[in-house]
Amino acid sequence: MNFGFWGVIALVAYLAALVGVAEIARRAKTDASPSDHFLAGRSLGTFVLFLTLYATAYSGNSLLGYPGRAYRDGFSFIMATGFMMAVIVGFHVLVPRLRPLAVRHQFVTPGDYLRLRFTGAWARELRLAIGLLMTLALANFLLAQLKAMGDVAHLVTDGRIPYEAGVIGLAAVILFYETRGGMRAVAWTDAAQGIAMLLGLAALFGWLISEAGGMSEITRAVASRRPEAVAIPSATVCINWFSTIALMGLASVLYPQAIQRVFAAKSGLALKRSFAGMTFMPLVTTFVVTLIGIAAIARFDIQDAVDTDGVVPMLLADWGAAGGFATAAALLVFLGALSAIMSTADSCLLSLGSLLSRDVLGRAGSDEAATLLGKRLAAGVLIAVIPFALARELTLWRLIELKMELLIQCVPAFLIALHWTKLRTGPVLAGVVAGTLFSVTLTFSGVTRIEGLHVGIVGCALNTCVAVLGSALPRPKRKGYSPSEAPQSG
Amino acid sequence: MTTKDSDRTRSLRGVCFGVIGLLYLMSVPWYREADAPLVLWLGLPDWVTVAMACYVGVAVVNAVAWLATEVPDEPVPGKGLGISEVQE
Repeated sequence: MNFGFWGVIALVAYLAALVGVAEIARRAKTDASPSDHFLAGRSLGTFVLFLTLYATAYSGNSLLGYPGRAYRDGFSFIMATGFMMAVIVGFHVLVPRLRPLAVRHQFVTPGDYLRLRFTGAWARELRLAIGLLMTLALANFLLAQLKAMGDVAHLVTDGRIPYEAGVIGLAAVILFYETRGGMRAVAWTDAAQGIAMLLGLAALFGWLISEAGGMSEITRAVASRRPEAVAIPSATVCINWFSTIALMGLASVLYPQAIQRVFAAKSGLALKRSFAGMTFMPLVTTFVVTLIGIAAIARFDIQDAVDTDGVVPMLLADWGAAGGFATAAALLVFLGALSAIMSTADSCLLSLGSLLSRDVLGRAGSDEAATLLGKRLAAGVLIAVIPFALARELTLWRLIELKMELLIQCVPAFLIALHWTKLRTGPVLAGVVAGTLFSVTLTFSGVTRIEGLHVGIVGCALNTCVAVLGSALPRPKRKGYSPSEAPQSG
Repeated sequence: MTTKDSDRTRSLRGVCFGVIGLLYLMSVPWYREADAPLVLWLGLPDWVTVAMACYVGVAVVNAVAWLATEVPDEPVPGKGLGISEVQE
């Protein structure tokens, strides 16, 4: 019996465990409200919060897309460690101001904040625009996870599970446990998945180092096979490095599922301790996956960019073929990788349901019907995204960039609005429209960078100028905020 | 927390953010010649080791900044948007 066979056995056992967790989480529910389903009754303490933030932040993109990009670019992709850390730096701008408002006004989704912050003319349109941007970004994120799930299941089971069956079957399992257990099931499975991912990555990296005879040997082998992979990056790559840190650092802060974890925390203290721990995780995760991708340069010769997303499963299949301890360790990594992907997909799905029902359709109720609507909408989006996952033209890295270029257009509405009371609804909406149109038009015209800068970054600068300058202009005085407009407890 | 403590915490966070900015600036090898020969430090190209050292520094300083951050569970008057301050 080879590695592929044991891969199928491990997969079935793991999925059975997930279904069990969902059932326990369902029984732990206190009521059927959106707050309980989507935010676990705002009860996440430091330990679970930290692990769920970790498992959500490190996804199929991190475990397959980043090694794939590192395989293509070489050591310059060390920038990934920097930009993942920039996300935790970026949360300083958001969390201390947003958290107290979320507690007082019982926010469930990012749109609840917008409902409170932006009132009067154009407020509804602004909420809709931001809601749609976040929905598109989340759907894109979900798509990337589905692709990654299909790749891992197919490659690690040695083709016993076809790519299409991996995508559809694993999506069905996620939908089941997310619908049954809500945020509790997602957070608990995230916690276990986070631990499995960390152990798995450490084991895979240890094997690669011992196989090659040390890190220096890997670097020398890469240098002889592809000298440009170890060379000091050009000026354009350096500009792109800064641009990527800014793009990811600003946009990742606005992931709806990350914002909802700020709402779901038990206390501000639990949040700040979790973020203090999270800041170290790129050193033991992103750095490691980058080195794994670079080490693969010396082992494989992959021509097609889309296929480079498969370097980790290919390494696992190589490792697991040795039998004995190597097979068991490779299976652990396989489950760790699959866990990471599924934990991000489930978080996306949970956020999508609440975002669509409350922010896009405006159904901000606190009853069971609102929760049910959210579940149905999430299921609808998942089914709609599956056909896109079955077509495999884009690399995972390109999907990440596209998502970030949309999300970063939400920066003025959150990061500036939380700190500057004079920012007004109309100019913010005009900025979002201008920045998004600019970025989307250039992207569809085939322009992804301007002198190394992402078009999303340039679009965000335009967006911010419109919002800030428009708000600074004198305008007729209007009535102030009415507390009765605050969202009700949900 | 007293006003004095709050001021001290704010200035500590300010210093942390300044140091983080400098570390990010140093992490990108824009100041190096692109055709320099390969030199290994700790098994990695030297410019990669410098970048990683900067990111370790960012992690430590950022953790200090987070532990020094007050994340209140109730809006603090005069800080952030006690929403009535919003000019709409």
